[in-house]
Amino acid sequence: MSNLLKKDWFGLGLVIILGSIIISFFKPAFVSPFNLYVLMLSVSLMLVVAMSQMIIIAIGQMNLSVGAIGGLVAISFTGLMEVYDLSILPAMFIGLGIGIICGFINGYITVKTGISAFIITLATLYIFKGMNLGITEAQPFYEIPEAVKYFGNAKIFGPIPYLIIIPVIITFLMWVLMNRTSLGRYMLAYGNNVQSSELMGISSTKIVVYAHIISGLLAAIGGMLVVCRLQLGTPNIGDSWLLPSFAAPVIGGAILAGGKVDVIATAFGVILVAIISQTLVIFKIDPFFVQIFLGFMILIAVFINRYREYREERRNKVFSNE
Amino acid sequence: MKNKIPDFVKTNQFGLLLLVIVFILLFTFTTDGFSSRFNIYALSRVVAIDIMIGLAMMVVILTGGLNLSLGALGVSAAMFGGWCMESMGIPISISIVLILIFGSFLGWINGYVTVKTGVHSFIVTLATMSIYFGFMTLLTEAEAFRKLPEAFTDFGSMKLFKKYISPLLLLSILTCFILYYLFKFTDLGRKLIAAGANPDAAELSGISVSRMFIYCHMLSGFLAAVAGIMLTARIGAAIPSMAGHLGFDWLLPAFLAPVIGGTLLSGGKVTVFGTMLGAILVTLINNGLYLIDVGEFWVRFFLGLILLFAVLLDRAREYFTSKNSIVS
Repeated sequence: MSNLLKKDWFGLGLVIILGSIIISFFKPAFVSPFNLYVLMLSVSLMLVVAMSQMIIIAIGQMNLSVGAIGGLVAISFTGLMEVYDLSILPAMFIGLGIGIICGFINGYITVKTGISAFIITLATLYIFKGMNLGITEAQPFYEIPEAVKYFGNAKIFGPIPYLIIIPVIITFLMWVLMNRTSLGRYMLAYGNNVQSSELMGISSTKIVVYAHIISGLLAAIGGMLVVCRLQLGTPNIGDSWLLPSFAAPVIGGAILAGGKVDVIATAFGVILVAIISQTLVIFKIDPFFVQIFLGFMILIAVFINRYREYREERRNKVFSNE
Repeated sequence: MKNKIPDFVKTNQFGLLLLVIVFILLFTFTTDGFSSRFNIYALSRVVAIDIMIGLAMMVVILTGGLNLSLGALGVSAAMFGGWCMESMGIPISISIVLILIFGSFLGWINGYVTVKTGVHSFIVTLATMSIYFGFMTLLTEAEAFRKLPEAFTDFGSMKLFKKYISPLLLLSILTCFILYYLFKFTDLGRKLIAAGANPDAAELSGISVSRMFIYCHMLSGFLAAVAGIMLTARIGAAIPSMAGHLGFDWLLPAFLAPVIGGTLLSGGKVTVFGTMLGAILVTLINNGLYLIDVGEFWVRFFLGLILLFAVLLDRAREYFTSKNSIVS
């Protein structure tokens, strides 16, 4: 039990459950099937985006271009289907391929030049976004196959949308990657300390490039899921991903210096953010408050994480004195 | 091996200066209207603000951090100024002082939270960015202040030197000299650089690193507020969306100028005039891209490529100069 308390996700889970009970007590509409459906939709989209950022945080870097990759893939996916009459599967694979290429560019340049990933991905953010706008001239693609539209809006049963299947599978795979595979372990080792991981014989190039490729791939999936949901491919998909993509991993207790991430806690972070945003909407609070709230939540999470570290340090000191 | 090349030729600034001259010549001969009085005046108004934004980012990069909230902060300060002047009827000079204090205060919040939590300023300013911008939008209800005092807006449209140059540019250049003096010749400036270059060593030699970092963030807020005032004067109104959603439109020029100018992202090195030249270069290229008519949608793409190219070039320069120094 005391072991459980130390987990990052345990406290978050508790907050989510208690919060939901309190909110539904005041506003029964919160647990209405429609509201749960909307909640799950927003969770499924942000889950993929958060995972895409989380894997880069794991290696101690940042990826500002997550949204730009998502947007570029979204318009390529829809553009290929509308303009070139491609069927869904090839368009999807090309979309995934674009995500992988974008991620590879980010990772390869970062690791080969040794320049901070922040600057590289800031540059590629503008490059990818510029390509997006250059291709579309800021016009959306509307002609989406019915199957794609159906996938974005149908429900499996009750309020559970089809759309949630892919994010749940991705979350599971990410958990396996970070906790059960050597690649995941190497990534964390690299994020923790670059020098010692190199001395251990881990190839930096491989780790960084793989992490960025996975990030690009997930961003691509996120972009295409948004297309399914919106039923059109607009160039501004991904523009608003930056803040939420960092919010969930940080609230989930990821240390931005790298070397520590928790997949389940990140997922709970996504759920918490979604619940709070939804609650503010139900209580008819100005949408701009949602933004302010998200900002404050990041700050609070940062303070709590700092406090826990501080407590741990003190406990360790006591032991070393004995 | 004797080295006959003077030292300043090897610096980043020299390369930048050459590039600026090359681009000016290129655009003058290949496009119509680049050297027209109207275009030069317009350029001077734009570049003035880009320099100020670049400097505001530079002083935070000095600490090894970043300030994502720059745009949100600048716009918040500008809107606060609009409220002071239009709704409260406070005289211009007092309003400007209040705006600067307000900007410094928002910067202080960034610095204080960063220092106290020990979290990277990226996350802190990401959060404050949405908090500042959110509050600003809520309080102003996204309405602009358009009836500012005429004396204030006249300054923004004033033309000097045979109507070629805006006074805004002179203000930016003056700020560059003041910052140069601060970092080069004052005790405080040296302490700020020492704290950024090696926090542990600075702490051991009796400098309060936390305080220095907070000062840097305050200075950043101050300069962002100045940029906000300048933009308000240029447009003639304080508009909530003048730096884009969440102030994002300021971010690329803010990073481009110092990074191209040779400021180290790991902290501890600033180049005031490099940042100035960087801002000039970016504005020139941006303007030239529009004149060459690459299409407004592709401008972003090329700016991104230029940033990438600039950092790679800087990397190559570092590599070759370090090789040279080993040989000699």
